Amino acid sequence: MQTKIVSKNFEIPHANSLEVALKNGRYTSLEKLFTYQPQEVIDIIKTSNLRGKGGGGAPAGAKWQLASDFEGKKYLVVNADESEPGTFKDRQIISKDPHLLIEGIICTCYAIGANSSYIYVRGEYEEFSDILQIAIDEAYAKNILGDEAKYPVEITIHRGAGAYICGEKSALLESLEGNRGHPRLKPKSPEPEFYFGEPTLVNNVETIASVPFIIENGAEAYTAYGTDCSSGTLLFAISGHVEKAGVYEAEFGVGMWDYIQKLGGGVKNGKKLKAVIPGGASTPILPAHLVMEAKLDYENLKSLGSALGTGGMIVLDEDVSMVKALKNLLRFYHHESCGQCTPCREGTSWVDKTLDKFINKTATLQDLEVLKSVSKSMNGQTICVFAPAASGVIDGFLKHFESEFLECIV
Amino acid sequence: MKILVDNTPIECQEGELLIDVLINNGVEIPHFCYQQDLGMDGNCRMCMVEIKGQKRPQIACDTFVCENLEVSTKSEKINEVKRSILELELLNHPVDCPICDQAGECKLQDYYMDYGLYESHLCTPKTKKGKHIDLGSNVMLDQERCVLCMRCVRFTSNITKTGELGVIGRGDKAKIAVAPNHPLNNSYAMNVVELCPVGALTSKDFRFQQRVWFLDSAKSICHGCSRGCNIFIDYNETKYTDEKVYRFRARRNKEINLSFLCDFGRLSYKELNEKFTSSTWHVETFKEYLKIEKKVALASPSLSLQQLQAIKEFCEKNSIALYSLPYVDESFGDDWLKINDRSANFAGVKELLISTCQNDFENSLKDANLIINFDHNLLKSHMPENKQLLHFSTSKCDYGTVYAIANFAHENGTLINCDGIRQEYYATKYRCETPRLVELLEELK
Ligand SMILES: Cc1cc2nc3c(=O)[nH]c(=O)nc-3n(C[C@H](O)[C@H](O)[C@H](O)COP(=O)(O)O)c2cc1C
Ligand code: SF4
Ligand code: SF4
Ligand code: SF4
Ligand code: FES
Repeated sequence: MQTKIVSKNFEIPHANSLEVALKNGRYTSLEKLFTYQPQEVIDIIKTSNLRGKGGGGAPAGAKWQLASDFEGKKYLVVNADESEPGTFKDRQIISKDPHLLIEGIICTCYAIGANSSYIYVRGEYEEFSDILQIAIDEAYAKNILGDEAKYPVEITIHRGAGAYICGEKSALLESLEGNRGHPRLKPKSPEPEFYFGEPTLVNNVETIASVPFIIENGAEAYTAYGTDCSSGTLLFAISGHVEKAGVYEAEFGVGMWDYIQKLGGGVKNGKKLKAVIPGGASTPILPAHLVMEAKLDYENLKSLGSALGTGGMIVLDEDVSMVKALKNLLRFYHHESCGQCTPCREGTSWVDKTLDKFINKTATLQDLEVLKSVSKSMNGQTICVFAPAASGVIDGFLKHFESEFLECIV
Repeated sequence: MKILVDNTPIECQEGELLIDVLINNGVEIPHFCYQQDLGMDGNCRMCMVEIKGQKRPQIACDTFVCENLEVSTKSEKINEVKRSILELELLNHPVDCPICDQAGECKLQDYYMDYGLYESHLCTPKTKKGKHIDLGSNVMLDQERCVLCMRCVRFTSNITKTGELGVIGRGDKAKIAVAPNHPLNNSYAMNVVELCPVGALTSKDFRFQQRVWFLDSAKSICHGCSRGCNIFIDYNETKYTDEKVYRFRARRNKEINLSFLCDFGRLSYKELNEKFTSSTWHVETFKEYLKIEKKVALASPSLSLQQLQAIKEFCEKNSIALYSLPYVDESFGDDWLKINDRSANFAGVKELLISTCQNDFENSLKDANLIINFDHNLLKSHMPENKQLLHFSTSKCDYGTVYAIANFAHENGTLINCDGIRQEYYATKYRCETPRLVELLEELK
């Protein structure tokens, strides 16, 4: 059931060292890369239908084109902030096959015409960041990176300070510029991101790490996997009440329940399944009966009222209290809201505090109304999609498990 | 170009910000974070409007107008959106209006009356934050009252570029603060008090002095330097206490001071309240003085064109040599509003061709037996020997005979600023016991 494209070298010991990496096919795509014009590379990515793997699933080719077409010194920024609960795939790439990421960065920089790139690494990933730095240093020493390289690329690691919101691309760039990590107002028409005013492409680690395979094997080799609209593979992660939590790459479109059973080893201790949060904490929960019909691709999960997100599934067994599960999530949103815009700053705190009353079984019907109305106020009225995501989480729990909340009302 | 706002066509320019169009045309649009001279930040989400063809409500401060834009600012749907945002804005607010200096000019109060009027749904404890924090430069912060509109932060980072203020903490724990041992410290700091739409920032100088609904405002011009910043004089007139000026506020003028004042100018209102002793005015006594041979007069370059004109005519008629000397203070000016020329109307002096020659003045002074000082500071604390000194003054003089005259708060007048801009200022409405200079000179005719 596994399809190993990005995770091909994960099991090879010391694949993070340049020596082993080179023996296992790293940097071979570069030969092919330089036979193409940059625009040809972008066209290949477009044909491959590669979609951003940071949660949004936006077509990568179109974003590359925007950055490439814009006048100015260009930058590539790789988003390795990975702070979404339930999501732990990027760190596998960084720690097990960092040269794959570097290779992808070179391909991407070449395509959009950038010579400088940054990797914004989650603050807590100190250990992974060190591994990545060693790999970068090795690549510089061998002139794979730097001025002497065939195509000069500089890579600088920037470590965040531990804020989830700095994974949002514009907040990430603010943070990278040395400012507070506040998301920026969204542009009215498509344009690239900007780093110190220069056009910038922001992509997730896994998105970039998928590029070498496509360059080397062609777009069709990639679209051979997955569904029509969700091409290729994803490093799905599975955690929670399963026997074998971990990251297992699979092609888009496989059955969720199938995946949980075959790769996750089924629900822990033979318990019954209650629900799955399908793609990182920010995607609406799916109750067991929907899990059975769910397919792991963008379109299918959207049709079920949820989203694929980052593909990090959190499995909840029959014993889980949905009230406590929601409280756990809302504490996270309360803690991580950047506090910039009113509905989110005040809303996330209000719903979190209100949930306490359900936990203590002192809630009233009015509290349930508060949850619903605040969730509504947080949706569609903020600067970034953090608050709407929190709102979707609340709505999902109330839609499928309202009875458990009603039981907490005095 | 035209857009349609609540079914009424409004004329505007392509590319203007919708919120500016609404404000300039008197359409009510609640907003906390947008300020015309600080620009947009888009954080408060209070300025929501409905735009035809858009699924979700949009913020007017981040919408540029284009041909045929159809905007609705008061549909039921949009009022509900505003109500819900306001409810969140007020959620953790202490609502201590009875002891808050902003009460009466507070946007939270105004908008609650316009869009709120709901019962509180809050059944959980309010978030606690810091109270009465001294930020420096006369500015006090109450973090609980703050709506985090970032106006104060944007002022210190984008306008003065001194960067003292910032936000610390995330989510509902976010608060405005200064770094330890780095207080608010710049000569424009008190603007943040006026920019703050709520009572989070208050001025140590004005705190607890007066409820704003007892204040009247007069449109005036700061006399602190030749920039001529536009101000409101906020004063009150009560039955049992002396009339008093309580503060100056910036009056927006795009050409001169935008929405800002320097702290020196802002606090210079205090001079208007000063009391001093003076002699009783008798026309006949004064006329006796005029019989003295060899007279010289010095006029303040901060008097209005009308006053200077009357002085000039008076001096010509009575053969008095008239001079005016500028107030120059090399340590005052900076690269923004403050100007070394501390006279409010030196350009006016020049326009009236009054002599400004220091040498000629000193020579005339040596010869003169009678000196008439029209409010010039130079002679207020300096006594030339063996001469008669008469003052028409708006403030205390150490020597000579003093006739008190009304200060600029009680006058209408015209000034010309350092850039040649001619500006009118207007008297407060309250009773003025001290006579006006022009009227005294009239009596002498
Ligand atoms: C609150 C929030 C947190 C996010 N965190 C991450 C993150 O940790 N890593 C990531 O790659 N993208 C994250 N994103 C998505 C990014 O904004 C951005 O869309 C992504 O990095 C683009 O890369 P992609 O197109 O390759 O997915 C986050 C978005 C939001 C709204
Ligand atoms: S929605 Fe929340 S996280 Fe996003 S900008 Fe607003 S306050 Fe910050
Ligand atoms: S102190 Fe006032 S101006 Fe500053 S952020 Fe708070 S409400 Fe806005
Ligand atoms: S800059 Fe000059 S005119 Fe403006 S407020 Fe200061 S003293 Fe008054
Ligand atoms: S005034 Fe528009 S969002 Fe604050």
